[in-house]
Amino acid sequence: MKSIGSENKKLIVEGLWNNNPIFKQVLGICSTLAVTNLVLNTAVMCAALVFTLSLSAATVSILRSLTPRNVRMMVETLIIAFYVIIVDIVLKAYWPQMSSNLGPYVGLVITNCIVMGRCEAYGNSNPPGRAFVDGLFNALGYSFILLIIAIFRELLGMGTFLGVSMPYFGGAYWDKWIIMVMPPGAFFMLAVVVWVFKSIQGVKEDKAK
Amino acid sequence: MIRKQPWYPIVYMFCVTAFFSTVVIGFTRLTSERVEANQRLALEGAVWAVLPGVQDETLSNPELHRRFTESVGLPDESSGGAYTLKEDGRVAAYAVPIEGRGFWAPIKGMIGVKADKKTITGIAFYEQSETPGLGAEIAKSSFRDQFRNKEISSQDKPLIMRRPGETLGRSEVHAVTGATQTSTRLEGIINAGLKQWQTQMAGKSEGGER
Repeated sequence: MKSIGSENKKLIVEGLWNNNPIFKQVLGICSTLAVTNLVLNTAVMCAALVFTLSLSAATVSILRSLTPRNVRMMVETLIIAFYVIIVDIVLKAYWPQMSSNLGPYVGLVITNCIVMGRCEAYGNSNPPGRAFVDGLFNALGYSFILLIIAIFRELLGMGTFLGVSMPYFGGAYWDKWIIMVMPPGAFFMLAVVVWVFKSIQGVKEDKAK
Repeated sequence: MIRKQPWYPIVYMFCVTAFFSTVVIGFTRLTSERVEANQRLALEGAVWAVLPGVQDETLSNPELHRRFTESVGLPDESSGGAYTLKEDGRVAAYAVPIEGRGFWAPIKGMIGVKADKKTITGIAFYEQSETPGLGAEIAKSSFRDQFRNKEISSQDKPLIMRRPGETLGRSEVHAVTGATQTSTRLEGIINAGLKQWQTQMAGKSEGGER
């Protein structure tokens, strides 16, 4: 029992920090660039990824002993697409406004490298429970970086947080940085975030040595 | 052993695909009515938003839909392809559909015109994917409210967008700051839509006088 606990703990630390999909592996940054100019859109995107990644990793893991190796990637893509379509349908039916805000990006979760990456690297060779935990925390590692980026982009670019005007930034003193809302702003923000987090990580690694 | 057979991957793939497809199809069936209703409501909402004096935010969706079917006339030849609001058997206002390419994807909306066919009562969009925070500001009331009570010009362009800060004439509105592409395209979409409607209305009234 204890070993399972420590295994999960390791997975959590790996996904959130040591092997964070965004700033360590630099995977799945297409969506990082596309949907991070409003915090609310980003949060929904992250929720979609958490759902898709954890469940598809678990499903891949359940089927792993049945799946022939030569068609495993087709099966993985199929499973991922299945969950993404479910998210897409749910949004269209129950939150049409958000569905139109995110546009094609929900569907593009299918091609998010993190999802395929985790299914291949972990789900394929580990039991479902652990695959689920691994997927979940990788998705959360992705989410918290995305939210940091989104908070800065929305604040600097529009002077708001979750659509609510913020003091100082929403006022007349703050000249809104329109570039932060545009795609180039995402590149700058992502670079800064990766830089900051890798620096923190680097310091720790140096100390460990 | 069955897994060693050469046909195993094909059969396996077939079964897995059949299973997941079935679930997705079932799920789509379950929600399709809702999805369609949402799309219809979005369009009806845009029509409501541009017609004068009928907007009531407190109404629920089914209530809105019921009132829509009661008091809004669907597009036909006599209205030049516009939705109409009828009061006492006469047309009180038109909601003219506008549609065209935006910066990223199509922009679809409605523009409301009074029975005099000159005064604009409002503008609303039911489909647009402009950049959030920039082009998407066209869907916010701060942008849309400026159209109210503007007049359709008889000049070459029925409506003109000016740079933010410039003084405006009777047929002019301010563009969205930082979204030149969206603004220019929207100006084109509005003008094309209005002109087409005017031509159709003109053609109809000539025919009627004969």
